[in-house]
Amino acid sequence: MTTVMLREVRAVYGTGPTRVTALDGVTVGFDSGTFTAVMGPSGSGKSTLLHCAAGLDRPVEGTVTIEGTLLNALDETALTRLRRDRIGFVFQAYNLVSSLTAAQNVALPVRLAGRRPDPDQVAAALAAVGLAGRAGHRPSQLSGGEQQRVALARALLRRPAVVFADEPTGALDSATSRQVLDILRGLVDRDGQTVVMVTHDPMAAGYADRVLILADGRLVEDLTDASAEDIAARTARLEASC
Amino acid sequence: MLTLRGRWMSLLGAFLAAAVGVGVVALSTLLFASGKAPVPDRLAAAAVIVRSPAASVTADPFPEARPWSSPAATGLAARLAAIPGVAAAIPDRVFYAQPVLDGRPDESVTLGQGWAGARLGGAGLVAGAPPQGDRDLVLGRTFGRSPGDRVTLLTAAGPAEYTVSGVVDGAGVFLSDATAERVAPGVRAIGLVLAPDVDTAGVASAAERVTGGDGQVLTGDGRSALEPRADARTRWIGMQVLTALAALSGFVTVFVVASTFAFTVAQRRRELGLLRAIGATPRQVRRMLYGEALAVGAAASVAGLAVGAALAPALGAVLVDAGFEPASYRVRFEAWPVAVSLAAGPVVALLGVWSASRRAGRARPLEALREAIVEDRRMGRARWAAGLSCAALGLALAAGTATSDDAQNGATFALYGAMALVLAAAALAPAVVPPVVRLLTWPLGRVRGATGMLAREGALTAPRRTAGTAAPVLLTVAFAVMVSGMVATSANAYAARRAAAVETGTVVVPDGTPGLPDTAGRGPLESTVYTGERPLSVSGVDRPGAAISRGLADQYGWSVGQSVPMVFADGETVPVRVGEIVDSGLGQVDMQLPRDLVRAHDPSALAPMADLRAAEPAPAGPGIRVVDVATYAAEADTEEDRLIWIFALMLVGVSAGYGALAVANTLLMSAVHRVRDFAVLRLAGATRWQVALAAAAESALVVAIGTLLGGAVAVAALVSIRAGLSEQVRAPVDLVVPWPVVGGVVGLCLLLAVLAAAVPARGISGGWTARRSR
Ligand SMILES: Nc1ncnc2c1ncn2[C@@H]1O[C@H](COP(=O)(O)OP(=O)(O)OP(=O)(O)O)[C@@H](O)[C@H]1O
Ligand SMILES: [Mg+2]
Repeated sequence: MTTVMLREVRAVYGTGPTRVTALDGVTVGFDSGTFTAVMGPSGSGKSTLLHCAAGLDRPVEGTVTIEGTLLNALDETALTRLRRDRIGFVFQAYNLVSSLTAAQNVALPVRLAGRRPDPDQVAAALAAVGLAGRAGHRPSQLSGGEQQRVALARALLRRPAVVFADEPTGALDSATSRQVLDILRGLVDRDGQTVVMVTHDPMAAGYADRVLILADGRLVEDLTDASAEDIAARTARLEASC
Repeated sequence: MLTLRGRWMSLLGAFLAAAVGVGVVALSTLLFASGKAPVPDRLAAAAVIVRSPAASVTADPFPEARPWSSPAATGLAARLAAIPGVAAAIPDRVFYAQPVLDGRPDESVTLGQGWAGARLGGAGLVAGAPPQGDRDLVLGRTFGRSPGDRVTLLTAAGPAEYTVSGVVDGAGVFLSDATAERVAPGVRAIGLVLAPDVDTAGVASAAERVTGGDGQVLTGDGRSALEPRADARTRWIGMQVLTALAALSGFVTVFVVASTFAFTVAQRRRELGLLRAIGATPRQVRRMLYGEALAVGAAASVAGLAVGAALAPALGAVLVDAGFEPASYRVRFEAWPVAVSLAAGPVVALLGVWSASRRAGRARPLEALREAIVEDRRMGRARWAAGLSCAALGLALAAGTATSDDAQNGATFALYGAMALVLAAAALAPAVVPPVVRLLTWPLGRVRGATGMLAREGALTAPRRTAGTAAPVLLTVAFAVMVSGMVATSANAYAARRAAAVETGTVVVPDGTPGLPDTAGRGPLESTVYTGERPLSVSGVDRPGAAISRGLADQYGWSVGQSVPMVFADGETVPVRVGEIVDSGLGQVDMQLPRDLVRAHDPSALAPMADLRAAEPAPAGPGIRVVDVATYAAEADTEEDRLIWIFALMLVGVSAGYGALAVANTLLMSAVHRVRDFAVLRLAGATRWQVALAAAAESALVVAIGTLLGGAVAVAALVSIRAGLSEQVRAPVDLVVPWPVVGGVVGLCLLLAVLAAAVPARGISGGWTARRSR
């Protein structure tokens, strides 16, 4: 079953001479219970793709559907509710509200939905990302990788239909990266979670079931069960050609 | 929902701004509410007072009532005394009388009463006997005299020796009833002393029936309408001052708090964007900001009220010293100023956060993800509309100032006009900031080094933030320059008029007394006559018939030779023949009458000054001073200037003092939030001092922008003030800008700004803050 479907999506930034086409007619679907990696050179439109798919940005053309709901038709409030209830997002940077503790950050979407967060559930979510002892720490007291994992715990807390992660391991050493990737893989295998992840790291992409490669806002490769070496070779070729 | 904790740093600024603002509002409203007239001491024991028919209100805010004649008053008093429960009905006969103690007129007392009137004030004899003869007198105990002492008393007839026959409680001066009837033939009030346990309301309605239409019955606080006219005048001036102060402080508070909140919200765009991205609806973001504003505003209200209440008595004393309030002024804690102050904080905070929260609600979630905060530079249509309509209103008021021939109106228009222009400049600032920054930093772009570039680009990428930071500077500079320029320009204009009108000669002027008695010369007597209900100010001069101004003659259809009935100060109706109609007006008064006619009907009238003819010997005695005309004119203007300067200082103090606080506040907040950028600079290899310098340069640029815009507003206001002044003095007037004041205010803003920016920036040590401030 397809959880997220993008059809002929075009995204454009700026006007006049500073106009940039970030996505140029992308059609792609993400099946439920799959782990997809999105790769491509810097500026190729990976983040934009994720933002459009998650309803954070509206494409100028094309449609986005999540679990059968057409995002284009929703107003800002309805879109926000859908994001809060059905989508988890881990940003490339600046994920946490600096005045709140890790646990409060994790529980934030629940509170925004007007419900009382279950402390056990929050503790379990933090424990799942290996941060059981850090619940009371503020972002300024956490390392970059720890902050990233808090954001992951927040994204997972409400069992969303899909989790989008923008370079979740970009700032992490390889051991911590593996930890985060194992968590994501485990979610997909055990709970049938749908995960879409942007990464530059072929090793990270190797954890995915499927690898998409973008260049200049277009989808240029769609690989299934590729090995890390294969991915590395293809991305190297792509980077060399531009 | 979301805790305030952790956000206190950014909200502290808004709290301070609101608390100080509420403090000033509380102070001025408390003082304003205390300005209610008290019941005069001399009538304290009269539970019911019947007052002669009130005069219709004219340009004079406190017209004196048309008096009853002596027989009419005596007759009415007799009928009032017959009301059951009334122990006595006594005409309130007051006249000019001032004891001379140790050779100087005592300035605390200028009113004498008939002995019967002592009962109205409840003063009983503590020693001696009532005054019997023409030269007997009873003094209040406060003068420290005993029966048998000789005392010099000044009356309209001149100084004379009196014998103290008795002493009463309090501070009054009483002459025999026969004397009082002679010097105070007109009566404006009859006091009713009630028998014990008599219902005041019952007596009041009975008195109402007895008087019919010929008088007004006053009870309780209503009796304060009989306070001395001079006190009422002073109080009225005080009201004007406090109204201006309250209006300005209210305006400045809303302005500063609104810009602080706008600023706070702009600083938190990333956080708000993140909240939106993870599921906060626009409404939730707005509600969160409203909640914070309410909490901050309520706390600020309580703090501000406490500060205002603590300072009120001290400022009240200053107002009395400055002559803006009569000596009877006391600070009283009424309910409404407390309620207004308590409401002010939350209301001001909500107003302040309103537009900011609308903008925050619209913040796109993706903004959280951007590294730098790059604003949408276009201004909303609502902002344009608001800015342009404020500008139009400001210009209309400036035009009103320019064409006003009344100094009071002119100043009021100028103040409100400047407020509107300040609003316009602040609203339109984001549009004008980029060109102004380019203009100001053009020389910086030429020099090598990173500082200039950083300051310039920092200001350019966020015109809204730059405008928000510059707003308090704009406000401070605009009002400081406008108010001080207005005072200096008008002082200059009046000095020029004085120099033009220089006359030679010598005059006799009062010294510690409200006016001159007849022994000081034949100066113009000041009195009031009534035609119908309308009071006319008259001057009794040495001339044969009546002279009236053209305006008055046209209004009533009077012509030369006509005989018009007038009621004089003694309540008598006398036909007055119009002898002359003067086209150019009569200066301060409506009418001139023969001096002897005025004296005959107003035995207590005084003259403000008297010409001393060359042949005459200079009069001598207490309460008299002989000076040359130029000195006299200069002294009169100096007194006026002194009042204006005190007034101006209070206005500048409120606006500039508060503005400077807001400058430091916003820039400190700005610097604290820019710590991250500065940390990046440190990491990129800048030294501690280079970072501090870059921060200081950016602040200095902001101060320059604010100064430029504020200066433009002030100049616009001053040009209109100058036009209005030259209308009033009928001569060209030079625009005077007191550069030391301007330099001082701008320097203060610059100093505060540079300190507020450079001190936090200097403390940055690379890595630590880069993470801290995330
Ligand atoms: N807010 C914006 N305004 C203007 N252009 C933008 C904006 N955001 C992205 N772009 C442009 O759109 C294109 C795609 O950007 P995007 O962020 O999707 O790239 P990316 O593939 O995520 O790159 P990276 O790997 O560096 O994160 C880039 O050329 C970028 O410059
Ligand atoms: Mg990206």
